Amino acid sequence: MRRNGAEDMSEDDERQQSPRSDLEFTSNKARYCKATGSASDHPDQVLENVLENVLHFLTSRRDRNSVSLVCKSWYRVEALTRSELFIGNCYAVSPGRATARFTRVRALHLKGKPRFADFNLMPPDWGAHFNPWLLAMAKPYPWLEKVYLKRMSVTNDDLATLAESFSGFKELVLVCCDGFGTNGLASFVSKCRQLRVLDLIESEVIHDGTDWISCFPQGESHLESLIFDCVEWPINFEALERLVARSPLLKKLRLNRYVSIGQLYRLMIQAPQLTHLGTGLFSPLEIAGQGDQELDYGTAFAACRSLVCLSGFREIIPDYLPAIYPVCANLTSLNFSYANINAEQLKPIISKCHKLRVFWVLDSICDEGLQAVAATCKELRELRVFPINAQEDIDSPVSEVGLQAISEGCQKLQSILYFCQRMTNEAVIAMSKNCPDLVVFRLCIMGRHKPDPVTGEPMDDGFGAIVMNCKKLTRLAVSGLLTDKAFEYIGKYGKLVRTLSVAFAGDSDMGLKYVLEGCSQLQKLEIRDSPFGDAALRSGLHHCYYMRFLWMSSCRLTRQGCQEIAHAMPRLVVEVIRSADMEMDDFVETLYMYRSLEGPRIDAPKYVTIL
Amino acid sequence: MGRATSSSSSSIESSNHFAFSSTGASASSQRDLSTDLQLGLSISTSPPYGREQPSDWPPIKPPLRQALAEEENECDSATFFVKVYMDGIPIGRKLDLLAHESYYDLIRTLQHMFNTNIIWAEAEVDGDHYEKYHVLTYEDKEGDWMMVGDVPWEMFLSAVRRLKITKC
Repeated sequence: MRRNGAEDMSEDDERQQSPRSDLEFTSNKARYCKATGSASDHPDQVLENVLENVLHFLTSRRDRNSVSLVCKSWYRVEALTRSELFIGNCYAVSPGRATARFTRVRALHLKGKPRFADFNLMPPDWGAHFNPWLLAMAKPYPWLEKVYLKRMSVTNDDLATLAESFSGFKELVLVCCDGFGTNGLASFVSKCRQLRVLDLIESEVIHDGTDWISCFPQGESHLESLIFDCVEWPINFEALERLVARSPLLKKLRLNRYVSIGQLYRLMIQAPQLTHLGTGLFSPLEIAGQGDQELDYGTAFAACRSLVCLSGFREIIPDYLPAIYPVCANLTSLNFSYANINAEQLKPIISKCHKLRVFWVLDSICDEGLQAVAATCKELRELRVFPINAQEDIDSPVSEVGLQAISEGCQKLQSILYFCQRMTNEAVIAMSKNCPDLVVFRLCIMGRHKPDPVTGEPMDDGFGAIVMNCKKLTRLAVSGLLTDKAFEYIGKYGKLVRTLSVAFAGDSDMGLKYVLEGCSQLQKLEIRDSPFGDAALRSGLHHCYYMRFLWMSSCRLTRQGCQEIAHAMPRLVVEVIRSADMEMDDFVETLYMYRSLEGPRIDAPKYVTIL
Repeated sequence: MGRATSSSSSSIESSNHFAFSSTGASASSQRDLSTDLQLGLSISTSPPYGREQPSDWPPIKPPLRQALAEEENECDSATFFVKVYMDGIPIGRKLDLLAHESYYDLIRTLQHMFNTNIIWAEAEVDGDHYEKYHVLTYEDKEGDWMMVGDVPWEMFLSAVRRLKITKC
């Protein structure tokens, strides 16, 4: 499901400077407090109270991690004052350990499966269950208000329990989650009386047949955000309309594709205070001319004076596009990633979007459309171009021409995800020079091992320029024909890179070695179909405790090699995952390796072997 | 649309194409070819993808891939309208055969359109009530009227000219 959280930056891993994060990895690394922390109790207590009051103001996770390392006293106080708990890998630490250390948590942010699981690279039922966390939190955190889960498995029972266990629960955000259905949603919304936010983003919702929208409690609702564009089942529109009518605080509403444009109209006139709108189908359910008069959709949009973020357009009929003209000037985020429109259809819209900062679009707009974007959207910070036809070796509607144009017109660009069939080093180099603020650079040349079409060279120089010139770069995804040279550049210059995605690239073990030895800030490394083997991995082992995880699939790892690694690194969990029906082989199909305080997990399915 | 090339050959073909179309030195195109060959050979032994477009590459999330594929199909789909007449009704109807996936689909539409029970090759018939049924036949390329349902669906699509629903 295309992400409709288009206003958020794509970089989901915040500043995680300290390698030990919030885990007490090496307990005897505590430094000494100079004057304080000595014999007498009384001064200690006073100081702790003062510290507590001060630390309440600290919100950054990274700062808190540093604070907790100062000395035992600071560690204690920091733990007492941390109200938002972020766990980047649900298996890195057990729920019990986390709740024991942090006793006053109000918000939990938990991530489960690695990202490559989104692309069918991992068999289902791998793990990442929310349930143990839920059960562990019920008693210690009675005041829990917010849960944010990404790539976790959540059941219907979990949802019911969540609402029952925490009377003041306010916000639930499920991103890329699965395992639950409309039944679970129904129990959750009916029991959760203080609910402000229910965001279902790119999650798979099972159809149990329940009309969950009708289950919101009667009376005035506190709802501020309701996002359900990923729900692939019809909803009870009348109930939704009534809900919106009694939710005066509602600011974000993202509808699914079962809401027609006529129904959208009815909702919009009830909620002109909306700031974020997902438009649903954006076409009528039946063919026009069936008796309904054409509504003035433009008026509805014009009435929404606070609208800054627009998405949806699931089955857009371009004739209706002019309706959004009134809001274009104020838009900061526009998600057209489901809209099959061409450059001519885009131009009248984009030419009005001067304030646009985030733009997601399909390559149906072609290079010409991108040129139009470059001409107007000078404030653009994030661009994502998705392929309407996800195949290799077909003609490219977007290419180096589009990228070049964007780099020249949108020089404040910070994040880009660009799918294309062809790309030149020249255009990538140009972007590296024109857009020095780039933090995220993800280029996906869909043809595997494709060289620069003009020079015939590998794409090494292009990506090399990116790591060299973009000094703030923290996330990189590479593609096209790449030799070890590209990795040499990345290792040498990519000193701030935290997330690296590699597919079908490199010549030899040296490639991986360069990266593991050079990229000191590397946290997440995901590699597929590249010729890296055991030797490469061994050479970079020292770095592995500093990483959240390493994923390698269809590379040249052997079971023997992985076994040695598991042996050498006791605090790493080394999972070997094979396809359900494949034999245990000498070659490892998928290696997923992560640091953990808990050792091998007990909920691994049978196709996962923990070495 | 896309050629269904194997992973190893696609890179060779593409680099060939580009190498010859550019003014680059032939030496570099040679090197690219051998690198491609090398990479191609080594990669083709790994399991997750075969010669077809793999479901896990390019990295598009399945729900989006599906949604766009559906859209594609709707735009590209051809139509094949045939005339349908029913006994006793002088005015015929037209039906798009390509909007149907199988005989069952077609029969369902026709039964709905003409408000009757239809017999075809695989129909189960209640012996006592023949008068309530109609038989579905089609005219083939040779002008003969045949009962619908004997040949595979695709073969039927290539042979059918028009349909007739006659009384039993």
